[in-house]
Amino acid sequence: MCPGASPQAVGPDGGTAVSAPTGIAPDLLDTGLAADLADAALSLARLFHAGATLWCVSPRWEPHAHHVAVEFVHPVIMGKRALPALTITGPDIVAQARVSARTGDVIIAVAAGDDPAVGEIMRRAPAWGAHTLWIGSGGRPARGAADHVLWIDDPDPLAPATGRFVLLYHLLWELTHVCFEHPGLLTGPAAECADEGRLAEVVEPPGRTYGDALVRTATGEERVDVTLVAPVSAGDLVLVHAGAALSRRDLEVAP
Amino acid sequence: MSSVGAERTGFLYPFIQRDERDAESLLADLATSARAKARESAALQRATLAQCAALIEVAGAAMAERFAEGGRMFTFGNGGSSTDAATLAGLFARPLDGRPLPALSLAADQAVVTALGNDVGFELVFSRQIIAHAHARDIAVAISTSGSSDDLLSALAEASRRGLLTIGFAGYDGGRMAAAPEVDHCFVVASQSVHRIQESQALLGYELWATVQRHLPARGRRER
Repeated sequence: MCPGASPQAVGPDGGTAVSAPTGIAPDLLDTGLAADLADAALSLARLFHAGATLWCVSPRWEPHAHHVAVEFVHPVIMGKRALPALTITGPDIVAQARVSARTGDVIIAVAAGDDPAVGEIMRRAPAWGAHTLWIGSGGRPARGAADHVLWIDDPDPLAPATGRFVLLYHLLWELTHVCFEHPGLLTGPAAECADEGRLAEVVEPPGRTYGDALVRTATGEERVDVTLVAPVSAGDLVLVHAGAALSRRDLEVAP
Repeated sequence: MSSVGAERTGFLYPFIQRDERDAESLLADLATSARAKARESAALQRATLAQCAALIEVAGAAMAERFAEGGRMFTFGNGGSSTDAATLAGLFARPLDGRPLPALSLAADQAVVTALGNDVGFELVFSRQIIAHAHARDIAVAISTSGSSDDLLSALAEASRRGLLTIGFAGYDGGRMAAAPEVDHCFVVASQSVHRIQESQALLGYELWATVQRHLPARGRRER
């Protein structure tokens, strides 16, 4: 069984998945979701191995974020190592994620596909150098919204309360630890760092309407010329190439 | 010529090739293992619901009576179970569908939990809150995998003394909770895996909520 051989074909994406009235789905984990989970676990293990902290958010179901964090920090199986995982809560999780996440960290969200705060975090994460993982059910987020999307294609809005998310992050934790038993695989291919179109978040706009702004990118803070996209304000997202902001990204809201 | 050269020297670096192959086979193994565990989880959920069907009905009806009398529900647990207790309280208090019912998680207040843990000992973090907040018409729900946590048992005993309806969620063989006379209704998920137990307990909690909603007296419902 090769993960490259498109196991998605058997997945529920065709819209045939129907939740059983008792809350037990006919198949809790189809082959497509299982393959996504395996990919996510290997990525997460590699990032932890490289020193990542896992930041957990779940604006509507905060206990799920706490549950994810405690799985990693205090494993149920004796002898498994404690990993850095913290929950972000409070009135402005976007601002809190911005100051918390460092380059190389991971942000995991347990949220609906249209959650506005999580959508903001996911859009900005590349500028913070953070990797992203999104667990949810119902309508999916836009394609490419996160590095890894672990989705339950069940329209039932009560699915988050039936244990199916719990199963997903339990398995994510377990598979991540299985990956640690394969140290030779923990140093994956380094991410390409092309200078073309790097996402940047404006930290400090220029004093005048044009000129250099201080921006944050995956590689840290730098000054770039924002004349082409001026005026900009703090928090705006721009694409940077060769020391200049070429276009804005802040108005691209997924439908 | 260079490709032939690469072929000839490839044996010098077998780990590179092997690592690439292994990542694929590892991913396939992970996916297979995940599916097996998910099937195990679903089978346990089905078995648990079948075994607990009558108890869910009885406990749900008793809870609905308490809510109808103006009672509130306090949920509590440790670690992951404390988050499941909070999820359950959230489902009762803010359901997307049905009637919102007063329910609170006793682990939610960091000031109270740390004050009690520091001043009187961790085994009293929940029972002291029961003493402070609870009335006889209320409901105490303790969620545990072992069924034997001191802080939960002490809170259930306190709740029972005060006339609360007491409900326990346990795993394994039910632990001390299953045998405690202070627990009116005890749901036991017969498994040895903390994770599988929690997944079944979540569904049990959901079924309990649905049962309570069904049993709420019509007079309490808003007129259409």
